[in-house]
Amino acid sequence: MIKTFYGLDMLNSGSAFFISLFIGFFFGLTLERAGFGSSRRLSGIFYFKDMTVLKVMFSALIIAMIGLSFFIGLGLIDPSTDIYFMKTYYGAYIVAGLIFGVGFVMSGWCPGTAAVGMASGKLDAVVFLIGTIIGSIFFNELFSIIKPLYTWGQSSQQNFGQEGLAFVYNNLGMTKPVFAFLFTLIAVSCFWGAEYIEKIKSPAKQNGVYLNTPFLRAFSLILIISAGSLFLFQDTESTKKQITGTQEMISNHSEKALLSSVALAADHVEPEELADLLYNKDPQVIAIDVRPAKEFNFFHIRGAFNVELPDLIQFVKKHKDKRMIVLYSNGMTHPAQARDSLARIGFKNVYLLTDGLNGFIERCLKPVSLRKEPLPQAMTHRINMWRDYFYKPESASTGLLTKENGNFSDISSLLPGFLDTNWLALHLEKN
Amino acid sequence: MKSENQKPYSNPYLAGAMLGIVLLASFLFLGAGLGASSGIARIGAFISGFIAPNHTISSEYFGAWGDQPLRYYLVYMLIGVFLGGLSSAVIAQRLKKLVIEKGNAVSSKTRLIFTLIGGLLVGFASRLAGGCTSGQALTGGALLLSGSLIFLICVFAGGYAAAYFVRRQWDD
Repeated sequence: MIKTFYGLDMLNSGSAFFISLFIGFFFGLTLERAGFGSSRRLSGIFYFKDMTVLKVMFSALIIAMIGLSFFIGLGLIDPSTDIYFMKTYYGAYIVAGLIFGVGFVMSGWCPGTAAVGMASGKLDAVVFLIGTIIGSIFFNELFSIIKPLYTWGQSSQQNFGQEGLAFVYNNLGMTKPVFAFLFTLIAVSCFWGAEYIEKIKSPAKQNGVYLNTPFLRAFSLILIISAGSLFLFQDTESTKKQITGTQEMISNHSEKALLSSVALAADHVEPEELADLLYNKDPQVIAIDVRPAKEFNFFHIRGAFNVELPDLIQFVKKHKDKRMIVLYSNGMTHPAQARDSLARIGFKNVYLLTDGLNGFIERCLKPVSLRKEPLPQAMTHRINMWRDYFYKPESASTGLLTKENGNFSDISSLLPGFLDTNWLALHLEKN
Repeated sequence: MKSENQKPYSNPYLAGAMLGIVLLASFLFLGAGLGASSGIARIGAFISGFIAPNHTISSEYFGAWGDQPLRYYLVYMLIGVFLGGLSSAVIAQRLKKLVIEKGNAVSSKTRLIFTLIGGLLVGFASRLAGGCTSGQALTGGALLLSGSLIFLICVFAGGYAAAYFVRRQWDD
């Protein structure tokens, strides 16, 4: 399993900076080789004279999509924890896209290509970059006015426990492989169309040269076959483990009361609330991680106990006098089912964590600098406080109860990545 | 202006394939895709902080980036893009000494004014979308994010709508 810098929350570490520089180098090299150090060539697409932008960008997009889908399909990387996804704000992006397009055609540059243009000695690229910097500063100065626009039209989709994270195949009611395959077919058609347009629109020697060549046929075929082979992977998100062994008992606790508490979301605890309660070490509050011990040992909310679903009733019984018992997993399905089951038996102090562990990380622990929405000073302070607390290695006295399951193992020796920041700091300096 | 030994550009599909592999490497190592406009915006935050430190740190948008906005992975990526572009241009003998690319029908001044306004719009719009053609359209497109694909469509809609009015820049 690949752990990314993002997944390890180390995107702003020295080693991530070095890798970024390295990746950026090849990014710039490729853009220059494609001819994107020239604004004439870049703007050519808007006059159907030179369709290089479409050919390069669409090829890159499709190949990265197929490549990443293979890695996810083979279980080599977990997208829910290790890949950063931007949220979807339809209104903001439509307005931004239209303005961007006008700026793009006026200048003949976009930010990445202008950096390459500047490196190739183009004065117009330098002027463009100065404009971009001023535009960013304008945005900051006007932010209080444009703030409503900035988050306008957030998608109602929710994926990986993140609200507003939207995949286009969900909008279209397709599965991912079906959409990926259709998208690849569209790309290939665009390649052939682009060659054809170039040929008729501008019959210069260097245009439309790939039309109907063995190269373009082979390239098209490889893309289509690769995209088609994505059908071989099962939809990993749908293979969820069954809850085993949770006995269902009928009690006098009425279903109606249960359902109305669900409707009022009175059964939820927000991540921020839980973070504060645990940070203050409220003795009346217990957090329970219902995931398998392996995942728990890899990372869990500091102070949480690991109790798998079959042992849950036993555990909750022991703590029935506590004010609040909060269940969490990566998402919300299992804790919600377990909470309802416990409520039926009569435990009224059990709650579930809104958006699960993923939401807790996203809302409480994600570094302020990586967030799309700027936060008020007070919230920034709280997040930094939580990060300090929840990313500290636990002392041996907390989480002791995990030993009851017999699954407790020394976390730092198992995987030094997540919890033991001191270890990391020490070893990174050596390299 | 064309140099005699300037090498031809790559096959666009192979260049695209290489770019796709670079993007995939970015996903697998960093866990995030490529980006360019964030690096530029952080330079903007740095300059703003240099001119008006208190104002910048208390502003809502730049303020969230702290007092060291350049300590960010995409700033390093941007430096890498510049160095990579420079290396490739030198190798292919495409490096020029501060030329302005334009058609003969417009003056250099007109071209630079258009470029500056274009830059302003792109800088502003990139912040509104939280990314540009690299970070939003290409990266988000490869992740099949709804918002990124809408952004991509709108970039081309805006571009084609405005293309007619600025076409003289490229007329010879």
